[in-house]
Amino acid sequence: MERLYPLLKAAAILLWSAFVVAPFLWALTTSFKTANGVTAGPTYIPFVDYEPSLAAWQGLFGSGGGSIDIASPFVSSTVVTLSASLVSLVLGTLAAYGLSRFSYKAGPVGNNDLTFFFVSQRIMPPVVLAIPFFLMLGWLGLLDTIAGLVIVYVALLLPISVWVMVDFFNSIPRELDETAMIDGCTPFETFWRVILPNSVPGLVVAGIFCIIFGWNDFFFAFTLTFTQTQLLPVAIVSLNSSVTPWWSLSASALISVAPLIVIAFLVERYLDKGSIGGRK
Amino acid sequence: MYGLTRYKLFFLLPGLLVLLAIILFPLIFTIRVSFSGWDAVRPGLDWIGGVNYGRLLADGRFWQSLSRLGLMAVSAVAIEYVLGFGLALLVWRQIRFRRLVRVLFLIPMMTTPVVMAVIWRTVFHESLGPANDLVTLFGFAPIPWLTNAQWATFVVILVDVWQWTPFMFLLLLAGLLSLPREPLLAAAIDGAGPIRAFWNVTFPAMAPISVGAIIIRLIEASKIMETVYVITSGGPGTSTETSSYYIFIRGLRDFQIGYAAALSITYLVIMIVLLTIIAKLLTKTLIKAEA
Amino acid sequence: MTYLLDNLTVKQGSDIHLDGVTLSLPNAGVVTVIGRTLAGKTTLLKVLAGLIAPQSGSLTKDGADLLAIPAWRRRVGMVYQQFVNYPHLSVRDNIVFPLKRSGLKPAAVAEKLSYVTELLGLAPLLDRRPEELSGGQQQRVALARSLVKDTDFLLLDEPLVNLDYKLREQLRDEFRRIFHASENRLVVYSTTEPLEAMIMQGLVLVLHEGEVVQVGDYRDVYRRPANTTAATIFNDPPMNLFGGRIEAGQVKIGDETVLRMPGHFANLSDGKYIFGIRASEAVMGGIITGRVALAEINGSTTVLHLDMPFGNLVLEREGVALHAIGDGVSVTLPPARLFAFDADTRNLVAAPVSD
Repeated sequence: MERLYPLLKAAAILLWSAFVVAPFLWALTTSFKTANGVTAGPTYIPFVDYEPSLAAWQGLFGSGGGSIDIASPFVSSTVVTLSASLVSLVLGTLAAYGLSRFSYKAGPVGNNDLTFFFVSQRIMPPVVLAIPFFLMLGWLGLLDTIAGLVIVYVALLLPISVWVMVDFFNSIPRELDETAMIDGCTPFETFWRVILPNSVPGLVVAGIFCIIFGWNDFFFAFTLTFTQTQLLPVAIVSLNSSVTPWWSLSASALISVAPLIVIAFLVERYLDKGSIGGRK
Repeated sequence: MYGLTRYKLFFLLPGLLVLLAIILFPLIFTIRVSFSGWDAVRPGLDWIGGVNYGRLLADGRFWQSLSRLGLMAVSAVAIEYVLGFGLALLVWRQIRFRRLVRVLFLIPMMTTPVVMAVIWRTVFHESLGPANDLVTLFGFAPIPWLTNAQWATFVVILVDVWQWTPFMFLLLLAGLLSLPREPLLAAAIDGAGPIRAFWNVTFPAMAPISVGAIIIRLIEASKIMETVYVITSGGPGTSTETSSYYIFIRGLRDFQIGYAAALSITYLVIMIVLLTIIAKLLTKTLIKAEA
Repeated sequence: MTYLLDNLTVKQGSDIHLDGVTLSLPNAGVVTVIGRTLAGKTTLLKVLAGLIAPQSGSLTKDGADLLAIPAWRRRVGMVYQQFVNYPHLSVRDNIVFPLKRSGLKPAAVAEKLSYVTELLGLAPLLDRRPEELSGGQQQRVALARSLVKDTDFLLLDEPLVNLDYKLREQLRDEFRRIFHASENRLVVYSTTEPLEAMIMQGLVLVLHEGEVVQVGDYRDVYRRPANTTAATIFNDPPMNLFGGRIEAGQVKIGDETVLRMPGHFANLSDGKYIFGIRASEAVMGGIITGRVALAEINGSTTVLHLDMPFGNLVLEREGVALHAIGDGVSVTLPPARLFAFDADTRNLVAAPVSD
């Protein structure tokens, strides 16, 4: 038992790791296949099992016939995600600072209720909001537009930035704010000149969360856009339902998750420094 | 005092107003729509009373989708909890493994669920996918992954487990790393074996974070729909159709807006009630057991 | 006397932090606020700074309402017990931070900067970040920042409590020198330690559970604590207090111990009293016997906790003396050093004649 345990442990970790990377490896190898390589049944190793081709990847970047336009959804996704993240970060940081530093009272509603109100929006299933969003964006003439999606995403991401930033601000001692006020700063100057410069780790974490959740949304992009505006997940899923060859599908899926994998590595480095969610 | 009110409102109000406008107003609006007969033929806010609610009570497809969702969510989260806890226990003492395993585990939870679902669908393709290749390698007959109701449910759960076990793992690992060492040492001195030490010391100490992680996951799992949409489209038949998916079909496919609104409100209320009960029960059984 | 605090009350929920504080303070000099942890010291300082708004009461300076002025326009400086500096700024930028909006010319800023850096010996550290400094250096930076600007008063909330003993001794002297050098500035210094109040000199304000117990010159408060609370707070170890009687020209402590009636008790009538004696003024050797319950060696003195027939007596003696727990000891309570407090009101009725 004593000697078996480390072996079992290594085997378990290895098995899980294989499970984690399996779909990525499968997509990677598929992306280099041609029609023959796919229809011959599952094959894995290029050059041995099948003759690899760069056709799928070239198709993604616009050259050659039968290419799939992934560039413009990629740009749209980037624009929507970044602008919604930025707006919700600004609004969320302001609200979080207020909730962390002042006490609000409106009847029985206090700070904790307000914070809960912000954060609890994450409980809401998207489908519940989809119908009113659909109708309201319709009235505003914002269906199928980037602007419409940005508005919806701001609401989606605001709870995340409030949640992360309230936690972060609570970890900054109030004495820092008080000292700034005694040194002549109004509450706004205190926030801007003293608290914000010391909040970079929190802003980074909140920003990363916003970007991940924004980038990964499918449902709202799917229900609130049709033809003019297309975000990346919707583009890929619609490839899925049409008769798109697997190699193109795989290549575009990999392109779409690539930024997230980069972020995963960044987050890991952050976790390792131990500075997530708190000041050093 | 000191004109502080000005500053207080300056910070809070923009975010609060945006949230009220984009979340609370639509929610109230949905409640109102649920009492109307709004559909593709007669769009508009008329008042038909509780007709939609009466209809949904007799709508077997809705209630089946709810119980199916319950089954999927609970089994997926249970598997994720056990696996996540197990993996965390395996690596928490070894720093060497921790970083590699951590980055490997961060990736699934960060990647876009629908995009991964697209890949998973090719993995479980009956004749061209590697899943059946593996099954036949072990000498079994190929499995009708996506055309058999049970297997399709299994695939949906498996994909959720793939994506969200890492979330459990990371939370529980953080919990394990913050545990005080003394009680474990004391248990070791008392001669408790690793298994007894786990049940008597580690597990009770991990109860609060466990409850938190399970609740967060249940909330998320109760929204399952995107992966179902991509992998099985609710099929075969309606055998993997979740509540969100059914509401989506009624509302934004069939344009029975009023009825879909009634369904969403009912779904939301049932979800909040059930999750609250589950949270209370978990807190009671897991955390009380400690005392 | 120019600062008037009238009936200041600060509540948070059902917790009362300041309970009708009424007093007047001069516009220059040093006031030491002494009280135990949670006595309301920090709250009082924050009300003066404008960081906490009292629920009721008023604070005026020469008749002008100070409460209407927010912290950022109140001309105060404050130093916390935690070392609070701006982590994102260098020591230099930390110190000149309060001058940023004063409209001072760069030359004037430089002059003020060099004045305080010299005063506090910070010149070699100007380009470092606060996190690279030791605790004592960080606290010097915080003080420099509150001294660099023209302020009406300077508040220090237990500024030395988080420093080690040696540094504390050194900074105490440094602080006193600086505080007494400024003529137009009131320094309010809070502490739990009587010794610090004695070193700072000036006025002492004894605070207990949100109420002012006594205000006066540090020597007066030491010699004549207004009541048992002040006597407990303003002595370290706290003054020993025992119930007793004056009967037939004798002082009786407890049931058995009888002492000679000292001269300063001459005016007291027979009856019940509370008698007090400082730990440092009870002496070893004599006829009252007891046992050692606890002995701690505390720097250059030894503090003994003794079980006596009339209760627990704390005795402080010079030098390091070794006592085992349970050892029998005998002590003397010099009658000339006894305090007497009214048994009901607990107010001082007689104090030893000062020397």
